[in-house]
Amino acid sequence: MIDFKEVSLIYPGSERTVFDRVSFSVDEGEMVLVIGHTGAGKSSILKLINGIVPHHTHGILNGDICVDGRSTKDHKPGALSDLIGVVSQNPLHGFVCDIVEDEIAFSMETRGFTPDVMRKRMEEVLDLLSLSELRRRDIRTLSGGEQQRVAIASALVTQPRVLLLDEPTSALDPIAAEEVLAILNRLVDDLGLTVVLAEHKLERVISFVDRILLIGDSGDVAFDNTRAILSYSPIAPPLVELARVVGADEIPLSVREFRKNSFDIGVMEPRKASSNPSVIASLQDVTVIYDGFNKVSALRNLSLKVHEGEIVAIMGRNGAGKSTLLKSFLGLSPVISGDIRIKDVEPLKTSTEAISTLVGYVPQDPSDLLFATSINEECAISDEDHNLQAGTTLAIYQDLMDIPNVNAHPRDISEGQRLGLVLSIVLSRSPSLILLDEPTRGLDYEAKRSLVEILKRLSSEKNCAIVISTHDVELVSELAGRVIFVAEGEVVADGSTREILTASPAFAPQVVKAFPNSGALTLNDVKKLLSKRVGR
Amino acid sequence: MKKTHSHDWHPLFWWLWACAGSVMLLRNSRADSSWIIALSFSIILAAITLTRQFPLSSSSRRLLRLGYIIALVATGFRMIIAITLGVPMPGRVLFQLPQIDLPNFLVGITIGGPVTSQRLAGAMSESLVFAGIVILFATANALTTPHRLLRVLPSRLHGIGLATSIATSVAPQSAESFTRVRQAHRLRGRQLNSWNSIGRVAVPVLEESLERSIDLAVALESRGYGYFQSPSRYRPEKWKREELLLLSSFAALVIVSVPSGSTSLVFSLFAFFFLFAPGLFA
Repeated sequence: MIDFKEVSLIYPGSERTVFDRVSFSVDEGEMVLVIGHTGAGKSSILKLINGIVPHHTHGILNGDICVDGRSTKDHKPGALSDLIGVVSQNPLHGFVCDIVEDEIAFSMETRGFTPDVMRKRMEEVLDLLSLSELRRRDIRTLSGGEQQRVAIASALVTQPRVLLLDEPTSALDPIAAEEVLAILNRLVDDLGLTVVLAEHKLERVISFVDRILLIGDSGDVAFDNTRAILSYSPIAPPLVELARVVGADEIPLSVREFRKNSFDIGVMEPRKASSNPSVIASLQDVTVIYDGFNKVSALRNLSLKVHEGEIVAIMGRNGAGKSTLLKSFLGLSPVISGDIRIKDVEPLKTSTEAISTLVGYVPQDPSDLLFATSINEECAISDEDHNLQAGTTLAIYQDLMDIPNVNAHPRDISEGQRLGLVLSIVLSRSPSLILLDEPTRGLDYEAKRSLVEILKRLSSEKNCAIVISTHDVELVSELAGRVIFVAEGEVVADGSTREILTASPAFAPQVVKAFPNSGALTLNDVKKLLSKRVGR
Repeated sequence: MKKTHSHDWHPLFWWLWACAGSVMLLRNSRADSSWIIALSFSIILAAITLTRQFPLSSSSRRLLRLGYIIALVATGFRMIIAITLGVPMPGRVLFQLPQIDLPNFLVGITIGGPVTSQRLAGAMSESLVFAGIVILFATANALTTPHRLLRVLPSRLHGIGLATSIATSVAPQSAESFTRVRQAHRLRGRQLNSWNSIGRVAVPVLEESLERSIDLAVALESRGYGYFQSPSRYRPEKWKREELLLLSSFAALVIVSVPSGSTSLVFSLFAFFFLFAPGLFA
């Protein structure tokens, strides 16, 4: 279906060869996962398939790519649109209409389908993606998972034979992600659709895919079945790492497969509760209402306390009020009633600039904070802003991670490095509370590991409290000591990570699912248990 | 038939509605200024009450607010100029401004000097007509969405369509990201009151809107927009009876007002009622 023949790609002005004489072919009805480090070229592969590269971006392409016999050299993306449906990384950017039904119809309208065909297809696709009840809704009021489904519906409604998806679940909570993936799986089974998707969170997708395309760092790719690739790939989900640690004979693709091995690793001793540290931040009966056409209450009488040296993860479905909760610590959400305190300061009665010395906030998109043309300049401005000795921020950055060239433009460095830069700017004021809103979007396993290390070090060395809102259960299991579960603006569960994550099947990390009764939460726990067995 | 959402109306309806209101205002601009003031106020009032009848999304509300601000600033500016600069006007002197002497060749024009009732009324009526037109179109823009207007335009205009849909979706989104980025910067501990800090907010906002525009253009291209000769309509937009009825009443009102060239309290009331009439279906 998709043939790459000796494809090479470089971007002008860049020294790196993205692909160097790459050849592979994807069969019809196959589901293929594209993996690689951030910036390795996952998106480029998808864009090459439908000709966005090189027709829309100025990449230099050699070799030939054919989709169903049509070469992307002679066919522009629009001319391939009857064959290929595309769901982009951020579907909200690509929506043209306001209403769900209009958006889905738009793809058919541009192709000139007759009204009766459109009617029929519309009903089919709405049913297929369970969107019937949302058909008259405004797209912008839908949750992330629903928007993703609308994007898939508008790509599928013209009945393409290939579907390309760029990180379809990265912004979704685990439940919404499962829904979207189950639908994709059904489409491949029922319609014989060829699906190519790029995704960082492998634990969510590997049980569905047939083959994996692994992009190396030097322009080479490996294309083989899932098990073969995962047996050596440096990028692997926790389950595969687990299998490597316990020495399973076969690479498991699902928790069920892993459990068949019936390993016994013993039981962990419960961790001792730490002594009572002092409270850094507290919310007392906080109610937040957003003023809209229908008054929506985002938080309802919510109370919680955050202590010194604690790492707290706020979890919950999309739209449960996680971001609002984080902003409440800063006094930035429209608080109707309640009391907020950071140490002795009341954010509701203090200017935002004054709060920033106490609370460091890393927004969902770290680049919101960046405006300078180089890392050096960005750090210098941070020092100047806060009357710090020159070089302070840069020193913090260097301490956090191996930093790239200081003259590089902040837009050109990797997501992980950008997050580190913003974090060092925030840390230069030595805040006692650090808030991070969904920091792992777009981070690969390696970048996530380094983030976990950094944050753990901060909480133990500086003794500051860290509150992080995230969908990433694997990150939470590695990082947080305490989990607060939010639903509909209320705290529905609050307790130790072990307690909360093992209680909910949808939010359980893979290690917990693999060893449900061992009390182990992370790979390190398993390693510890194993070494104890050997020692005995 | 109940039309609970302004989007249930034909996308062209609101634009024609705004045109009708503007014509009513402009046709009467030679009339007595006190009537024009009354007429402008009633039309502005009709427009504002209408926007409260229909549910609005947060981005169109933001755009509407921008329209009000433009109208307000322009009216104020226009008033100041009209009061301070011009030829002397008869009428009762309300108050005295310091007068600046001008060279001889500008005979008859004064800056400052006595402000008469007539000059004040004239300045006010002219500014209000302008404000009225801005508010009418801001309202129309909030009640429809440009996307829907795009769909009723002929398909040959695909290049224009592409540009419009990018421009119209980027404007409200940029307003949103502006608020977000500004907030983030204040959290970085930076006072944002000086001129040089504008760049700090503008850079990420502009970068994001550029990125969004490219994403949208790529998405449209991938969906084959503009590649097929004869696009079709899923649900063709049709004119409904009440829409035609209302539009013909607007036309009648405009025609009646033209030859007489005058306004009266009755006419202002009529204008208010007709322009507010769509709200009765909300």
